[in-house]
Amino acid sequence: MTNLTYQELAALVCTHLDKNDFRCVLSGGGCVSVYTHNKYQSNDLDFIELYSNNTTDFKKIMSEIGFTFENGYFKSEKFKFIVEFPKGPLSIGSEPINNYETLDFSTGKLFLLSVTDCIKDRLAAYYFWNDNQSLIQALMVAKSNEVDLKEIERWSKVEGKLEEFMRIEKLFDEINNETDTE
Amino acid sequence: MIEGILGNINKERCLQFIIARNDGYAREISEFYETSLSPIQNQLDNLEKNSILYSESKGRTIIYKLNPRYPFLKELSALIEKTLTFLPDEIYEKLVNNRRRPRRKGKVL
Repeated sequence: MTNLTYQELAALVCTHLDKNDFRCVLSGGGCVSVYTHNKYQSNDLDFIELYSNNTTDFKKIMSEIGFTFENGYFKSEKFKFIVEFPKGPLSIGSEPINNYETLDFSTGKLFLLSVTDCIKDRLAAYYFWNDNQSLIQALMVAKSNEVDLKEIERWSKVEGKLEEFMRIEKLFDEINNETDTE
Repeated sequence: MIEGILGNINKERCLQFIIARNDGYAREISEFYETSLSPIQNQLDNLEKNSILYSESKGRTIIYKLNPRYPFLKELSALIEKTLTFLPDEIYEKLVNNRRRPRRKGKVL
């Protein structure tokens, strides 16, 4: 088992895929891990292929870096995290994601959702699945990063979840106030 | 009806049934359309793998529902809902207006 961090492994996989002409973006709980510096630890890496045509042979490409396919996900004896490729397109709710972040690590480049999109992604799980853990993750990301709350409010409205946003907005405000006074 | 778009009649049946009733499981869908169970199971599995549906276990039954996070949900629902309006009245009634509320155990009908 190698000692790569979650972020380093994510960048390794992402860069390898990109070298093979498959631009994939980290989404889901993995982005929470990255933006909270592992205060929240995801156990898997969910990569969504941009402009997927559903024919990408991930098995062959992933085998080149030691991953094998089993029960719908990729695993390796070398790494403790599993990798999955949920079907695209890259979106949050009904909106496509056209811009994403790039972070550099010793193992390569990592493409991932922006901080604000990461929070929207977690809030989508909270709004649509009533998943409180996802709300907690959204707040954890907001605590350590600058967030565009206006954009989250706009998106919540588009998704028909403005009332829900209004109910939780104060939690984000409290976090901002805490961060300001630290 | 829109098999030409979806590529498979059983995929259309699964979506039509689930959109009409909000959820569905493989056996009731196959019984409703009087078709084999296995192709329906395959299509439900395929729709779930593509994040269009999600499933929940209820006892030994796997119930499928539309994934509220699917980005084309609104458009897909509109298309399938339109196919419902083309159904013969008798089938439409049977599909849409079936009893879904609970009935007390042992109640005399």
